[in-house]
Amino acid sequence: MVTGKKTKKTHESLNNRLALVMKSGKYTLGYKTVLKSLRNSKGKLIIISNNCPPLRKSEIEYYAMLSKVGVHHYNGNNVDLGTACGKYYRVSCLSITDPGDSDIIKTLPGDH
Amino acid sequence: MVKFLKPNKAVILLQGRFAGRKAVIVRSFDDGSRDRPYGHCLVAGISKYPAKVIRKDSSKKTAKKSRVKAFAKMVNYSHVMPTRYTLDVDLKDVVTADALQSRDKKETTGKEIKKRFEERFKTGKNRWFFSKLRF
Repeated sequence: MVTGKKTKKTHESLNNRLALVMKSGKYTLGYKTVLKSLRNSKGKLIIISNNCPPLRKSEIEYYAMLSKVGVHHYNGNNVDLGTACGKYYRVSCLSITDPGDSDIIKTLPGDH
Repeated sequence: MVKFLKPNKAVILLQGRFAGRKAVIVRSFDDGSRDRPYGHCLVAGISKYPAKVIRKDSSKKTAKKSRVKAFAKMVNYSHVMPTRYTLDVDLKDVVTADALQSRDKKETTGKEIKKRFEERFKTGKNRWFFSKLRF
């Protein structure tokens, strides 16, 4: 059930969906706002980069477990995640509060 | 998408004098108030944990060791770590926002919380809440 090697195709489609969310939906970037969105139950999906420090990663996962929100571990580091969001800075974790036209929330949380 | 910072949730304070202490949310103010324009909650917590009681302790010693010192505090959500535990002790009538206004009201509130926490500790339930968090 654990996908050892994420295939290129699904990774690209995730990037596409993420780009659609950036364009049409609402999101917050960064650890502090991710926790805020989990606390006020606005977050619908959390994406964490793979080089997020493990303590921070487990903290976000714990909050997400309490609020029953899916967490996706992005197959790339914070530089890649920032690029996938179309930003010129690093993004270690992000929270999608409103997916807009994207179906990212329906197609992802088979993962975690 | 489930709200989890609700009354009776056990939390751990992260900042302030009581950092590292366990507390229970009595009342939560998600949208803040005029003086505190951020999400915050009223918590009642343990300032001094009860000591470990062993079988050969005399009853006087047990009574002394089972004492709990409690506090009540308004605390920002971001200074609090929620846990998966809950503690349902009825503190809503005792711990109110105006109980924190003056020193003597705070003292009497603390004593009342202490009494209720001690009763709960003596029943042996909620062991996790009354054990010190080691770090």
